[in-house]
Amino acid sequence: MEVERVADAELLLALAEGDRPALAELYRRHAPWLTLRLQRRCTDPDVVDQVVQDTFLAVWRRPDSYRGSGEVAAWLWGIAVRRLIDAFRRRGARRRLPLFVATSSPSAEELVLLGVEHGDLAGALRRLSPELRAVIQAVVLDGLDHREAGRLLGVPATTVKSRLFRARAQLREELT
Amino acid sequence: MIAWHADPGLLHRYATGDVDPSLAASLEAHVQACARCRADIAGCVDDARLALGLDGLLAAIDAPRPGPVESLLRRAGVPEHQARLLAATPSLRLSWLLAIAVALAFAVGTARLARDPSTGVDLFLVVAPLLPLAGVAAAYGPGVDPTYDIGVAAPMHGWRLLLLRSTAVLSSTTFLAGAATLLLPPAGWAVAAWLLPSLALTLGSLALSTVLSPLRSAGAVAAGWLAVVITAFSEQATTALLGPWPQGVAAVVVIAATGVLAVRRAAFDTRGIR
Repeated sequence: MEVERVADAELLLALAEGDRPALAELYRRHAPWLTLRLQRRCTDPDVVDQVVQDTFLAVWRRPDSYRGSGEVAAWLWGIAVRRLIDAFRRRGARRRLPLFVATSSPSAEELVLLGVEHGDLAGALRRLSPELRAVIQAVVLDGLDHREAGRLLGVPATTVKSRLFRARAQLREELT
Repeated sequence: MIAWHADPGLLHRYATGDVDPSLAASLEAHVQACARCRADIAGCVDDARLALGLDGLLAAIDAPRPGPVESLLRRAGVPEHQARLLAATPSLRLSWLLAIAVALAFAVGTARLARDPSTGVDLFLVVAPLLPLAGVAAAYGPGVDPTYDIGVAAPMHGWRLLLLRSTAVLSSTTFLAGAATLLLPPAGWAVAAWLLPSLALTLGSLALSTVLSPLRSAGAVAAGWLAVVITAFSEQATTALLGPWPQGVAAVVVIAATGVLAVRRAAFDTRGIR
């Protein structure tokens, strides 16, 4: 694949100077995966597109909120997932989270792949109930706090907390 | 840095939602950290969709940012189009509200400095009802509203816009004047005596504006108010305004003006405001 000659962080610096091509480049690099990842959390493509746009708009207006350390991609996701939560709250949307619809079972190759990356974790995660897995995903992978995760999943923060506790207990039991 | 990369088939299945949740989670963690897989997965999103998104983004950058009033309204849960309509109200501008605040400050200051406190309160009671009146008069109509021409052409009732804005102006101005009464020298319930006349003047002027222009009807109503106050209540306006008679008359005017507005509301659309 093509090598990205200019680092994301440098694009952000250019963007802070009002450089539009830098914004377009950042969009070209990051909008696709953000779109796909948001799509797994919200079924409405219009909402997803709006959230992606809001995300880059926020980046354009406040590029200095990137503190200059860590992956730009991770920072972008942090903005995007919070914008998604805002969108849910604004619309009172209930059409969320296609995440846990059952899908085809993974191939042996994928199982090995998961095994390489996570050891026994994949199997253990798969055996969690969808509710518990959603909480693990929102808190651990998406990096949300309990209240934000609750808004994303449409449950109170206290529920997130208790589910997280149960999920951790189950994982610990299976992995030890 | 990372030796492993997701193969294109797997990425494609992720994009179509055809992977197991825990595998998807694993992929997401990887994609977030791997520029090459991010580039690979870009091919799974419709190019036209991305191009449209970029166009929208560039247009959004150029769009004017909502002002303080509009963003405050948005935050309070007012829908976007109504917030924009309200924020364009001339008498909801910060400068206008500041002018109201200054006028009230002068009235309160005079009341507190006056040798005889009741005279000061009287002055306030005469002035306070005129402020919402002026605000509503400047809320809608040719000459004062920069969005008037757009509004006339828009598929929305002028009546509805007028009500929307009048309510907003009336409540914000009344709130300011109400806050000012708290700073007046103590005069008991007398300080609230302006509320009903204020409503009567505003509604009366709106009713009149189905015939005259908003500014003229406001001017006429204000002149009428001053004439009545000066002739009838030159002595002790405080007590006089509190009496059952003036308040009763004000209440009757409120009801009558509401009736006139309800009957003649079509005048705001068919003829426009002259």
